[in-house]
Amino acid sequence: MDDVATKITDILKKHMKEPRDDISPDTALTDLKIESLDLAMIVFDIEDGFGIEIPYNANEDVEDFKTVGSVVERVKSLIAAKGASAAKA
Amino acid sequence: MAKQKSGRRVVVTGLGAVTPIGTTVAEFWDGLKAGKSGVSEIEGFPREDLKILIAAQIKNFDHKARLKHFKRDRIISLADRYSWFAAVAADEAVRMSGLEMPIADPYRSACIIGSGAGGLVTFETAYRDLFIEKKKATHPLTLLRIIGSSAAAHVGIEFGVKGPTFATCSACSTASHAIGLARDYIRDGMVDVAIAGASESVINYGTMKAWQALHVLSPEGCFPFAKKRNGTVLAEGAGILVLESYEHAKDRGATILAELSGFGMASDSQDMVKPTVEGPSVAMRNALDDAGIGPGDIDYLNAHGTATADNDINETKAIKAVFNSHAEKLAISSTKSMHGHPLGAGGGIEAVACIKAMLHGWVPPTIGLDEPGEGCDLDYIPNVGRDKKVTYAMSNSFAFGGLNAVLVFGPPPV
Repeated sequence: MDDVATKITDILKKHMKEPRDDISPDTALTDLKIESLDLAMIVFDIEDGFGIEIPYNANEDVEDFKTVGSVVERVKSLIAAKGASAAKA
Repeated sequence: MAKQKSGRRVVVTGLGAVTPIGTTVAEFWDGLKAGKSGVSEIEGFPREDLKILIAAQIKNFDHKARLKHFKRDRIISLADRYSWFAAVAADEAVRMSGLEMPIADPYRSACIIGSGAGGLVTFETAYRDLFIEKKKATHPLTLLRIIGSSAAAHVGIEFGVKGPTFATCSACSTASHAIGLARDYIRDGMVDVAIAGASESVINYGTMKAWQALHVLSPEGCFPFAKKRNGTVLAEGAGILVLESYEHAKDRGATILAELSGFGMASDSQDMVKPTVEGPSVAMRNALDDAGIGPGDIDYLNAHGTATADNDINETKAIKAVFNSHAEKLAISSTKSMHGHPLGAGGGIEAVACIKAMLHGWVPPTIGLDEPGEGCDLDYIPNVGRDKKVTYAMSNSFAFGGLNAVLVFGPPPV
C-alpha cells in the first residue's frame, strides 16, 4: 500500500471498535462495522490529515465509500484536484 | 407524622455524586466531614486576561477509567465533559440502588438529567477552531456534545431507559426541577423508576469572562452567610438520584435511603437577578405542604447559600418567613462553601448531602464562616459539622430569573 492508503487505513483502524490488520483495498467498509457516526469522524480525520474537503451527505449511500480502495481513490483524486487548482492560481 | 398525600409514595434508592471535593458519594461525604474546600487556582486553559482566577474544578478526572465498563453507549467517552460527569454519577446511583437495568418493562423507567448550559466547553472549542484557527470544519461530534439533552440521552442509552427521557434547564434550580418532575411521574403512576438529577461543566475562558462581567464572582473564595463574602465561586460536577415507587423498591427488597416527601416550585416573575422573598418562601411552603409536614418538622436545611450579597440575605429572610420561631432552632448550612457553585448540578449534589446527613445523623458545616454578615443571623453550622438526628431535610435551589425549586426528604416509609 502507498502512503495515502496507509494513512487512510490508520484512520479507519482508529475508529474501529475492534481494529484488525487484514484491511486491503477490496475490504468493504460495511465489513469493518463502520456506522454513520464513525464515518463522519473518519471523513473529518481524512479531511484534516490531507487538507482536503470530501463532499458527502450522511443521508445518501455514497459509491465512493463502498470499499477501502474506493476511499483511497477518491482522496487521491481530491488531492490531485487541489494540486491542480493550486498550480493554476 | 406526615399526612398521606394522594398518589404513590416515592423513595430514593441510589445516590451518585461527582464534585470538586470527591468524585464518588463516599469521597464527597468524606470531603464534607473534613470541611474540605474544592476551590483552587484555575487550570486547564489559558487564563489570558481573566481577573477571577479561582474556581472549584474537578481535577485529574479519569473519565476513561470511570466509563470503560459502559456497554450499550459506545461513544460516551467521546462526549462532552458534562455528559461524563452525568454518566459517572448515574452509574454510581444505579449500582447503589441494586437495580437490574434495563428494568423488566423499560417504558416504565425515566431518565431526567438536566444541565444549565449543556456542552458549553465544546461550544467554545468549536468556535475557537472555526473563528480563530480558521479550520474548515468542526469535529463531527460537536453537535451531539453540545446539545443540553445529551447527558440524559447517553445515560438513557446505557441503562436502557425507554420512558420519559429529557433534560430540564432552569439555571441553578435545574437538578431540583429534574428530581421533582421525576418524582411526580412516579407518584402519578407513569413510571416506576427514574434516574434524575443534573450535571454541569462550564468552566472555560468564555464562561469566566461572562460571569466576570456580571460581577458576582469572588476573587477569594465561597463564604456563604459570612461578612467577608464577596461573590460565588463557579464549580462543576453532577448529582443524580435513583427514585422508585415505594412498592417497586419494597417488592425487590431494595435498601430505601429516604423518601422524597415534598417538592415545591414557585417563580418570582419579577427580575432576572434580584430575588424576591416571596418566591423562595412559597416554594418552601409548597414543598412542606406537599410532604404533609410543618416547618417545625425540618431538622436540616441545605441552603442555596451562594455567597452573593443578595442571595444569602434574601434566603435568610425567606427562611424566617416560612419557619417563624423554628428558624432560630433550624440547622442550616451551605455546602457550596466546600464544593462551590455547580450551577444546574447544585440541587442534585445537595440532595445527596441531605440524604447522607439523614443516614449518618451528622449535618455538614458552612466553612469560612468566621463572622456572620449583616442580616445573616441564623444557625448556619459555622465551620464544623455536628451530630444531629435528621428526620426531615430540605434542599433549596433558587436560580437566576427567580426560578425556585425546593425538595424535602423524609425517612423511609414504614
